[in-house]
Amino acid sequence: MENRPSSDGLASIRRDFLASGDAATALAERNAQVDRLVLEAATTLLLPAAPTGLAVLAVGGYGRRQLFPYSDVDLLLLFESEDLAVASKDAIAVFLRYLWDSSMRVSHSVRTPAECTEVHDRNIELNISLLDQRYLTGDRALYAGLAEKLPRFIHGNRGPLVRNLAQLARARHAKYAGTFYHLEPNVKETPGGLRDHQLVCWLDQLHGAQEGPSEELEAAFRFLGRLRCYLHCQSGRDNNALSFEAQDGIAELWREGDAAQWMRQYYRHARVVYRAAIRALDASEAQFSSLFAQFRDWRSRVSNADFAVHRERVHFRAPQRLDVEPELALSLFEFVARHGFRLSLEAEQRIESRIAALRAYFAEPRPLWPALNQILSLPHAPLAVRAMHETGVLAAIFPEMERIECLVIRDFYHRYTVDEHTLVTMQNLWKLPNGYRDLLAEVKQPSVVMFALLFHDVGKGVPGEGPVDASVRLAQGAMVRVQMPWPDRETALFLIRKHLELSQVMQSRDLFDPQTIRDVAHQMETVERLKALTLVTYADISAVNPEVMTPWRAEQLWQLYLAVYNELTRELETERIEAIPAGPPERIAFLEGFPTRYLRTHTEQEIDEHMALEEKSRIKKAAVDIRKLESAWQLTLVAADRPFLFASVAGTLSSFGMNILKAEAFANRRGLVLDTFTFEDPSRTLELNPTEADRLRATTERVLAGKTDVRELLRNRPKPVLPSRKARIPATVSFDSEASRTATLVEIVAEDRPGLLYDLASAISSDGGNIEVVLIDTQAHKAIDVFYVTAEGKKLGPEKQQVLAAALRKAAGA
Amino acid sequence: MKKIEAIIQPFKLDEVKEALKGIGIDGMTISEVRGHGRQKGHKEVYRGQEYNVDLLPKVKLEMVVPSSRSEEVLKALTAAARTGKIGDGKIFVYDVAEAIRIRNDDRGESAL
Repeated sequence: MENRPSSDGLASIRRDFLASGDAATALAERNAQVDRLVLEAATTLLLPAAPTGLAVLAVGGYGRRQLFPYSDVDLLLLFESEDLAVASKDAIAVFLRYLWDSSMRVSHSVRTPAECTEVHDRNIELNISLLDQRYLTGDRALYAGLAEKLPRFIHGNRGPLVRNLAQLARARHAKYAGTFYHLEPNVKETPGGLRDHQLVCWLDQLHGAQEGPSEELEAAFRFLGRLRCYLHCQSGRDNNALSFEAQDGIAELWREGDAAQWMRQYYRHARVVYRAAIRALDASEAQFSSLFAQFRDWRSRVSNADFAVHRERVHFRAPQRLDVEPELALSLFEFVARHGFRLSLEAEQRIESRIAALRAYFAEPRPLWPALNQILSLPHAPLAVRAMHETGVLAAIFPEMERIECLVIRDFYHRYTVDEHTLVTMQNLWKLPNGYRDLLAEVKQPSVVMFALLFHDVGKGVPGEGPVDASVRLAQGAMVRVQMPWPDRETALFLIRKHLELSQVMQSRDLFDPQTIRDVAHQMETVERLKALTLVTYADISAVNPEVMTPWRAEQLWQLYLAVYNELTRELETERIEAIPAGPPERIAFLEGFPTRYLRTHTEQEIDEHMALEEKSRIKKAAVDIRKLESAWQLTLVAADRPFLFASVAGTLSSFGMNILKAEAFANRRGLVLDTFTFEDPSRTLELNPTEADRLRATTERVLAGKTDVRELLRNRPKPVLPSRKARIPATVSFDSEASRTATLVEIVAEDRPGLLYDLASAISSDGGNIEVVLIDTQAHKAIDVFYVTAEGKKLGPEKQQVLAAALRKAAGA
Repeated sequence: MKKIEAIIQPFKLDEVKEALKGIGIDGMTISEVRGHGRQKGHKEVYRGQEYNVDLLPKVKLEMVVPSSRSEEVLKALTAAARTGKIGDGKIFVYDVAEAIRIRNDDRGESAL
């Protein structure tokens, strides 16, 4: 055997391909070349050792004639018996050495027909590679025997084969974070790559599908095949990584213009392949899992009048309704966000076919925020937003998003395109680690945080303008269009504008320097904003790539959050409104001495309302306002300060069966107290009996005027039912005399229960304590209460603290 | 050749990297570490629970430079990493016996 064509032959294939870009020819030539070489080597070196009882088969990519220039050549040496294989050992070695010396990377296996027709859970690749087997040379009768058995074997073992194949595919997808939007993808392995195309073909084959792959899928295969051919020819090895350099090389060689722009084509094809792969996987897994089928049937009961769930997918019940009711699309995504099902192919296609009409409809300013708010607050919100993005509905509602679609911004740390990064931030928000998860539970409107994440990087798609400024500008337009209410808009804009602030502080400021913390606290203004921005920061950093949010960095962010949180709570007492810029004298007199938090957390309109209450309070010494909020009630009162005031109002609310969720108590310089209680009405008493709200108001006013004793009211209060001992949250009481210049900070964390606040506040007041400032919050069953307390105008001494601690622990039920 | 190992404040990393780049030192290994020396831990109370930060976050830089340049590197490093407060960190210098570039087997200073 004189001619060893492989390396020379490869050189010419490489040259021709780089000149023509014709991958089909390159692949055909390479296959023919390898066929020739293997046949020749087998005929002279291998078959003489076993003239019968041995057949040489091409398997895997080589078997299906899709051998890329530098791919491994998979061969199966089929022996009729193990003894014959052992006897042919030397000949096999010579045969393989010859192929290796011809610069061919051979990956071989030696099997008997019986081994080829067993399920190999530990060697799934062997079973799979046989789906693409092709006879090359040797004992034709031996091969014919196998070829006859294979279809039966495959049919009989479809279940385990599909399961194994799906397991491999899912693990591969997970390795690439389940997305094809990688900045430097691997064209073979990344989701949406050639391996996924093959997966679809294999699953079709296992199911005995009649029709071939769709034209769209075939076009994607041709595109990816050409890319892989380029990567092999360019680097002269089995290289499948589409690096930035390779992207530049292709854009230049194929005159595609800007590489980033060209990459958008890649993502479009990868998307077709990935979607087909996911659909095929879901369908196959569902078909072969009986347990899954039971679960699926059970889950399908969540179907409603508009949507049906079948095989874990959502379908429209009356698809044509979408033509007349465009907002049905939003209801569909709300359904997805609520139940966590993906869209059916039909639903996707229906929406995609109506996308122009949807765009036109959503382009008009409309009150869409209530629906979006709902979608973004539900547990499967990230899945819904992803589905909206994939069907084009997200861009129909927010055309601003088109600027970042498949947008590549080259950065050493970033792994995804800008749109994918955005979707990953939203996913991250719903799978936070402990601590951060509590913050999300405490944030009033997660939907506003989600909205801020959606828009935080949109400005990256605007050339020539600062990305943050552009994001803010684009978000503003979008918020007006969907008619988001003003306070939410303000919060969202704050989060977008400051989304880099905390990470910059972590990188460039000393987190243990009190000045750093004061500066950050000043920028955050309120604890609520700090919490929301901490969440945005966590979600944003961890969406850069899966390794960026190291435990070290998560701890840094948490440390920053803690320090700023404590600073903001301290500020409550120390930072008082002193210089009011301008305004009527009565307004100045009203505001003077309130904590600065008051100005930050109330709108002008609310301040006016509070002043009107003050006006009223002059006659009766106290004025009370009760109103219904979206999901709770609020009681606001203005009165002259006196001992037990806070405790008596808390007690009055409890006596009416109300459950206090939040409370704030502030006093101004003139000794006027403004208390706000947010409470829930578990038995809907106020809603169902309008006169009850009036009675509650009148009773509170009487209690404030000293005409009714709150203890009398509470005498008939039913005993609260406490959770089991195991589920209880142990009560903790802590004191901090450093936090404020004039008062002692008392923080109580305890199991929440009706009347808890009354008991705690009474314990403080009975002990001669004066409550200066209060901030109460509840989180599921946990109450977090912060009181600033003085006794006779001074901080609490150690003995006083000890007595009070015991009283508070008793009140909290510890 | 000298190996320079510097434990610095995390917020000084960018400044130190810039200073080293300024004198032509690009290659270094950076790790996120925790530790404490004279700068003792710190206590925060949050929701009634004490959070003790005994191990403070620091950044460790490691680089190997020709002995002739070691003083210059140390000077740039200390100047950039210093705030004058406790907790600025420490630098350790070691002698290095050999350096090898794995790719082409370069040895000694030419491998740096």
